[in-house]
Amino acid sequence: MFWRLVSQLLRGSRGRLAVAIIAIVSGAAVVSALLNLDLGVQNKLTQEFRTLGANIVISPARGVPAQISGAEVPALMPSDGVLQALQQLPSAQVAAAAPYLYIVARSQNIPVVVAGTWLDQAQKLDATWKLEGNWVASREDDSHCLVGRNVARRLHLAPGNAMELHYMDRSVPCGVAGIVDAGDTEDNQVFASLRAVQSLANLPGQIGLAQVSVAGTAQVVASCAAQLAKALPQYQVRPIRQVAEAEGVLLGRIRLLIVSMVLLILILTALCVLATMAALAMERRKDVGLMKSLGGSISRIVGIFLAEVGVLGAAGGLLGAALGAALSYWMGLRVFGTAIAPRWEVFPATVALMLVVTLTGALPLRMLGNVKPAEILRGE
Amino acid sequence: MATLVQVENLRKDFGNVRALDGVSFRVNAGEWIAIMGPSGSGKTTLINILGGLDTPSTGQAIVDGTDVARLDEAGLTRFRAEKIGFIFQQFHLVPYLTALENVMLAQYFHSTTDEKEAQQSLERVGLGDRIEHLPSRLSGGEQQRVAVARALINQPKLILADEPTGNLDEANEEIVLSLLRELHREGHTILMVTHAATIGRLADRRIEFAHGRLVQAAAASLKPELA
Repeated sequence: MFWRLVSQLLRGSRGRLAVAIIAIVSGAAVVSALLNLDLGVQNKLTQEFRTLGANIVISPARGVPAQISGAEVPALMPSDGVLQALQQLPSAQVAAAAPYLYIVARSQNIPVVVAGTWLDQAQKLDATWKLEGNWVASREDDSHCLVGRNVARRLHLAPGNAMELHYMDRSVPCGVAGIVDAGDTEDNQVFASLRAVQSLANLPGQIGLAQVSVAGTAQVVASCAAQLAKALPQYQVRPIRQVAEAEGVLLGRIRLLIVSMVLLILILTALCVLATMAALAMERRKDVGLMKSLGGSISRIVGIFLAEVGVLGAAGGLLGAALGAALSYWMGLRVFGTAIAPRWEVFPATVALMLVVTLTGALPLRMLGNVKPAEILRGE
Repeated sequence: MATLVQVENLRKDFGNVRALDGVSFRVNAGEWIAIMGPSGSGKTTLINILGGLDTPSTGQAIVDGTDVARLDEAGLTRFRAEKIGFIFQQFHLVPYLTALENVMLAQYFHSTTDEKEAQQSLERVGLGDRIEHLPSRLSGGEQQRVAVARALINQPKLILADEPTGNLDEANEEIVLSLLRELHREGHTILMVTHAATIGRLADRRIEFAHGRLVQAAAASLKPELA
């Protein structure tokens, strides 16, 4: 009989309760979307920050220049030890890594900065690069290079052209695979294979620095940097703090914003339920007076009404959680370009929050405890 | 015959207004009493106190050995559920419950529900084909018959009827009165508030009120002719 009564109450007051259910479903949808966003935003932001480039740089300890054939080049380090240390990092956390050897070569008699690197990692290390032409898919490809757009303009180069790099008395030919638009200093550089540049500079097995892009939070980046520093004590291992800290600060602010919005929405939902329940409590004074006259205790009577509110909260919470999952999926696509997958733990959390909110909003039902059946039945 | 209701020097004040002023009377089990008097004379207040809906200012109102004045809120709740069956002038059915559910509601607050028993109770008052109807789809007479079925479902010691035919047309009045006569014949104790002298004469005794005082108690002389 209890649930029969609850069901009839819900049916009998569906007009009045429609306002409350709309508020609960809307509130639950936004809360669920925000909770999904909160749980998914860390991964998305980390991915976003990875597009800003490497977050760990390994370089020789001091910038003591080396003398090579009478010419001064920046301090160098053997690549073997560095690459070995990089392989020790958990592979899931290393999004990209590449060694670099910078030299100033000449092409068409114009000096150009040439970076010897693993060309297959270029796109992964800096996803913001725009490319006209093709990427170089293999780090073993010594015959192709990528040219910064400023260099390409000065040397009148386009994808598919051939160019020659000269260093001291050596030279190496390479075909232009693509023109890079990085919007930064890379626009003034030529990117060729590490092996080709090492050969051109006559520096086999030597590199000037290595860049690593670690996927994860600022703590993960710091942990990887510490691991590398321990493995390579003779070199300088620096996490790029601006990226890591900006990520941490932004995550903190987004989380604060999400928590504030969730609280605000919960309060607004509770107020809406409160207003509906206050009106409903006034409407039901007569029913309560009658139920009391039939021998209903106030705990049993209010229990029926609270169950009704609980059903509303649970049903609205479930429906809203499902809508919120769809909303967060859409928000992920709009904001980050990839969907945010719904998290299962958000469903019970949303339902629980909505139950708390609706039961809090049902406080006016306590007024029914003061109903005097004799007064109600007299029509007062 | 055993005394079921004993009222001793009952007083009830609403602020400065004295609704009942030293009322005393007794009702034996199985009696049908008509409580009569003009509006504002204290009839409904008396019914409310005897039914545990209100408490007296002073005096005693003992029903089936229980002094209503001494009961706390929980005690009054159990008293109403177990000993009293109410029939109101305005019917007072829950509008969103069917006729059957309105009867079952009284069962629910008393102990446990028995749908078959509730259905039989409605069949007894001639509403076997209306059990799934909402009050809004029942006539006034039919609604009052649902209220009678509800009042009887828990086998109460005392039936309190406050102007049970006050809102009914002649045909429905006769149906409800014949039900009350039947209940009386079965041995139920009925206290009925009424303005109508003809209805009052159906009772075993009439108790007349004026200004909160009992002014006359008499046997209903015309009862044999109308019964």
